[in-house]
Amino acid sequence: MAKDSTARVLPEFEPPVAPRKNQFGGGDLPPPVRSSVPVGANAWLAVVMFLGSEAMFFAGLIGAYLVFRVGAAIWPPPFQPRLPVIVTGINTVILLSSALTMRLGVHAVRRGDRSKLVRLIGVTGLLGAIFLSVQGFEWLQLIHFGLTVSSSVYGGLFYTLIGFHAVHVLGALVWLGVAFHLARNGRYSKANHVGLQICAMYWTFVVGLWPILYGLVYLY
Amino acid sequence: MKVKNFLSLFSGAAFMFGSHVIAHACSVCLTGANDPTADAFNASVLFLMATPYAVVGSIGGGLFYAYRRKLAKPEPEQIEQPVVQLRLNQEEVGR
Repeated sequence: MAKDSTARVLPEFEPPVAPRKNQFGGGDLPPPVRSSVPVGANAWLAVVMFLGSEAMFFAGLIGAYLVFRVGAAIWPPPFQPRLPVIVTGINTVILLSSALTMRLGVHAVRRGDRSKLVRLIGVTGLLGAIFLSVQGFEWLQLIHFGLTVSSSVYGGLFYTLIGFHAVHVLGALVWLGVAFHLARNGRYSKANHVGLQICAMYWTFVVGLWPILYGLVYLY
Repeated sequence: MKVKNFLSLFSGAAFMFGSHVIAHACSVCLTGANDPTADAFNASVLFLMATPYAVVGSIGGGLFYAYRRKLAKPEPEQIEQPVVQLRLNQEEVGR
């Protein structure tokens, strides 16, 4: 008698009638996988880190100023020209207004309003230029009255702290000029305006820093 | 092991609080109380100590806020692409 075949007889494969919904042994299905789009653009994150380093830079300068200011019995030191508090106060208001127009520009691009964006960037740049011009004129007056970098510690501190801020405003103005040119050419859209966003961030930082310096150097 | 750690901490603390020489390394402690220069350095050191926490905390807080805002937004619906038939189509071959 022939030996029974040892070959296994495979059962007929039957595809499932309906797909199984619950494939994990019970309970609810796992949550859907969220997209891997990052929270912010790379440029945005880079500018955030850069602004952190700039904040620490100015913190160091302010720390140095505090050492001399708190340690001095009389401040400002005698026989030094007095700083123009009122004119600089008005200048502060001008600079703060530029931050507002910059914010409105970002809102305009989010609405897709290109012409308004270009106008607002132009106004922001103009206000920033006015601020720098008034500062420069006041400095010339102070130099004329004898307050220079080398005249005293007071002069050195003033021009170092306020001077570095002015350089940052100048750099921000140059960047704003580039953003103005790009906005006029239609480079910023509702969907993609990261370049304008980071320019606005830097401008807001530079403007936000000024009231702190004004209060510390001119009023305190 | 725990006794060893306790002994290390205790000896470290005793060394720090018992040694007057270490206090001379600090300009604030060396110049004495009610000294304007010491007060000035103290104010500056406190300010510079607090600033990194403020900066990093602001950056971290901003990133966390942006992340939470993104989570709260509904995901855009994915456009379903039709699955391409990869198996050989006899009709196309012409057989």
